[in-house]
Amino acid sequence: MTDRTTSVDLLQGTLATLILKSLSWGPLHGYGIARWIEQITDDELLVEEGSLYPALHRLQAREMVSSQWTISETNRKVRCYSLTEQGRQQLRAELSRWEKFSVAVSRALSARRPSKVV
Amino acid sequence: MSPAGRPDRRIWRDTRAEAAEEIAFHLEMRARDFRERGMSAADADAAARRRFGNVETISRQVRAIDDESARQKRRTGMWTDFRQDVIYALRGLRRAPSFTAVAVLTLALGIGANTAIFSVINTALLRPLPYADGDRLVFVWNVRDSGQTDNLGPGRMLDLQRGATGFSGFAGIAHISYTLTGAGDPERIPGSSVSSSFFDVLGARPLLGEPFHTNAADPSAVVLSHALWKRRFGADPSIVGRTIALNGRPRVVLAVMRPDFFWPSITARPGASPGPELWVPGGPGDIPRTAIDEDRDMTGNRNAGYLRAVARLKPGVTVAQARAEMGALGDRISRDHPGDGGRSATALAIRDQFFGPVERPLFVLAGVVTLVLAIACANVAGLLLGRGAARRRDLALRRALGATRFRIIRQLLTEATVLSCAGAVAGLALAWWGSTALSAMAPADFIGDQPLHLDVRVLAFALAVSVVCGLAFGAVPALQLSRDALAGALAEGGARSSGSRRAGRARDVLVAIEIAVAAVLLVGSTLFVNSFLRLTRVDVGLDTHNLITFDVNLTGERAQFQAKQVQFYEALQQRLAQVPGVRAAGAAATLPIGGDDFGTGFLPEGYPVPDEASVPRAGYQVVAPGYFAAMGITIKAGRDVRASDTREAAPVALVNEALAREIWPGQDPLGKRVKFDSTETAWTTVVGVVSDIRHLGPSVPPRPEIYQPDSQRSFPFMAFVVRTGPDPYSVIPSLRRAVAELDPTLPLAGLKTMDEHLERSLSKPRFLSTLVAVFGVLAVTLALVGIYAMMAWSVSERRQEFAIRLALGARSPLLVRMVLRKALLLAGAGLIAGLVAARAATGVLTGLLYGIRPTDPAAFAATAGVIALVALAACYVPVRRALRVSPVSLLR
Repeated sequence: MTDRTTSVDLLQGTLATLILKSLSWGPLHGYGIARWIEQITDDELLVEEGSLYPALHRLQAREMVSSQWTISETNRKVRCYSLTEQGRQQLRAELSRWEKFSVAVSRALSARRPSKVV
Repeated sequence: MSPAGRPDRRIWRDTRAEAAEEIAFHLEMRARDFRERGMSAADADAAARRRFGNVETISRQVRAIDDESARQKRRTGMWTDFRQDVIYALRGLRRAPSFTAVAVLTLALGIGANTAIFSVINTALLRPLPYADGDRLVFVWNVRDSGQTDNLGPGRMLDLQRGATGFSGFAGIAHISYTLTGAGDPERIPGSSVSSSFFDVLGARPLLGEPFHTNAADPSAVVLSHALWKRRFGADPSIVGRTIALNGRPRVVLAVMRPDFFWPSITARPGASPGPELWVPGGPGDIPRTAIDEDRDMTGNRNAGYLRAVARLKPGVTVAQARAEMGALGDRISRDHPGDGGRSATALAIRDQFFGPVERPLFVLAGVVTLVLAIACANVAGLLLGRGAARRRDLALRRALGATRFRIIRQLLTEATVLSCAGAVAGLALAWWGSTALSAMAPADFIGDQPLHLDVRVLAFALAVSVVCGLAFGAVPALQLSRDALAGALAEGGARSSGSRRAGRARDVLVAIEIAVAAVLLVGSTLFVNSFLRLTRVDVGLDTHNLITFDVNLTGERAQFQAKQVQFYEALQQRLAQVPGVRAAGAAATLPIGGDDFGTGFLPEGYPVPDEASVPRAGYQVVAPGYFAAMGITIKAGRDVRASDTREAAPVALVNEALAREIWPGQDPLGKRVKFDSTETAWTTVVGVVSDIRHLGPSVPPRPEIYQPDSQRSFPFMAFVVRTGPDPYSVIPSLRRAVAELDPTLPLAGLKTMDEHLERSLSKPRFLSTLVAVFGVLAVTLALVGIYAMMAWSVSERRQEFAIRLALGARSPLLVRMVLRKALLLAGAGLIAGLVAARAATGVLTGLLYGIRPTDPAAFAATAGVIALVALAACYVPVRRALRVSPVSLLR
């Protein structure tokens, strides 16, 4: 349990980016986002699914996403989230940053031992 | 799942219910998934909850985030809306430069006038008194048999001081002018001899040194005002401890007061004219010294009334209580000491003492400028309505795009306020210029010798006025237009709609109100100008042209004996008469119009005097031979005073015609005899009758006067009058030389022509009538602009109608009649309302007017005429335009 919590903490900041990514194909409700994350991360990330909601609402407060109440296929009132233009830009920025970061880290991790300087 | 509904833009939301709903949906969906994988319903629910985490905590977090974000949105939303409105308003104003110019100028005049008058009120009435807890100070006055307040005698003052229980401090004050010699020309300086407790009672702190204190005053000390220290001693920082010569005796400078220490000359009539510039402690017994600055012990003296007194109320004691106590105490003292010149005593709050007489004129002025502002606001409201008529489509479009009525009202009000703030900025510039002019013009007892300035309070006032105005004149068009927009003016093709008719009605009402207010102001200014013109035409009873006056105050040994005084005066008068360019010279203890005023009771021989209160009173003048001739006062019967009327000869007097008429109607006053006091043994015989003069100035009718020769009763001070040729000022250097030849240490004080005195006495009515007249003209001009704009608009709206009528053969006169009928109806309604209001309002002017009643029918008739002419004149251009309508161009 302990090691999993740690990994969750580490990844918590990434949760926002994941939410933005999940919405990049179109509007989703909270459960839909949770299911998407569950599928692509093999159930590893969201120990407590509830933590998704504060993250979502925080994104909404920062106007990265917007929400509307609609009627679901089960004929139930449901809140749907969609990406705003600002959120789309943010996602783009996060992706390019992540790419740079991962390139740099993988280069560092695959580097050979430095030769000694005489 | 597509976003179907409208974006959720509600400001107030039930975040608790929303969070619960959202989480419930999540749990339901998850439980359904679990059931589909074969769990029992109960297990599925429990598993879903486990997987979700703490529902309560998360729901709370979500709500907190939503609430905070909503709060922030509201805040920034309002601000951005406001900014948007302001920018939008500015853009709109820039697009309509002529509208903006007229509106801003109109408002600038209204706000500027208000701000300028407020700066006078700020300086005159609202300034803080430079004393510790100044509103706890009162003045104590004697009450005479006639009910008038007057100075106290030392005995009476001490009785009041000892008997009072409501005061924590008490100080007597006497005004004396001092001759300062050494270091430059001799100069007469207004000063005060005060009880040692004076500075302690006031709680005033000095700039340099330390003033004298209660029961600890070096009799040879002096405290200087800041102004005197700067002017006469070059602001010398080492002045404290130095010795200066006052009235020929050495005095040690103890302290210099702060620049804001303000102490007017205190007279029985309230007022705040510039006062003493130095203070010395009292004489023996801590009693303030008499005018000749001698060392006589005045303790217990009940004859000389020359003292004013200031006292500090004990904590918890009100002014009314102090007044009651002084009244009771004064009554008792008057019973114990009959004939010490008083019937009772009273107390007056310091603000009433200083500023009482200027309050009403200033409030009248404030009322006048408020009315001017009301007209300005009505004008701008009318302009906005007219402009709004052209903007109806624009506003309707905004409504259609989702703006609420509240939002539109807010935008229109912001626009009005922006306009009015622009007006305020321009108005402040006007007020700044105006207050400079007012500073020069305002009578001394309005603002003392302080300059008017636009301080923070004045700026705040201007800002407040402009915001209130913006809301006031913005409200009518805002309500009108927003309702209009609601009615959907989009569909309207340009024909007159119900909306524009409504706007027209609102504007008609505004114009009628404007005319009514202008009529009130015009009646007021007519009354004031009339009153002032009458004042300037009053015959004061003497020839004021080419007459120089100055005061001489004797000090030292020469002042102590009446014989020596008279000797000196005679010598000086002879010398003055010999100066080239001088036609006649004379002297009197007190001069008419602006000089001091002495009064006396007198007992005519054989005249019934049942009690003390019915003793006849007269102005009391002491004059030298030749005074009447020099002043241009006619001796109607008998003779002038003569040098041979010495103290050894039989006492004689001259009276004026008013006294003769009142006391000896139908009889020859020559040879009649009077006594000034029942204890006197010798009768004073009337040897002459002179023509009436207005001693107290043009506004006070002649009263009985008695003139005695200075050779029989003299004072250590005398005012000299010198009749010259057409250029009185050219003689002044020779007059100075003549005086200096006789005595180089004698200063010439108050050197002025009699015309200057007369001017000064008229300064208050001139100030008031000039301002009221200026504002009246301003009001009428603004009303003219208002009527013109209204007529122009209404004509332009009816151009199609006129064109059709002309095409159908209507004659021009008919159209002219149509336009004029409307204008005159409005003007008539406004005028009647205005005259009725004026009839009710001008009552407040009683006492401020001279020789004309506030209900003067001529003033009302003149106003009606002017307003009717103005209304007609305002119609001229619009009517001409209506007639020039080309039917073809408009019908197309």
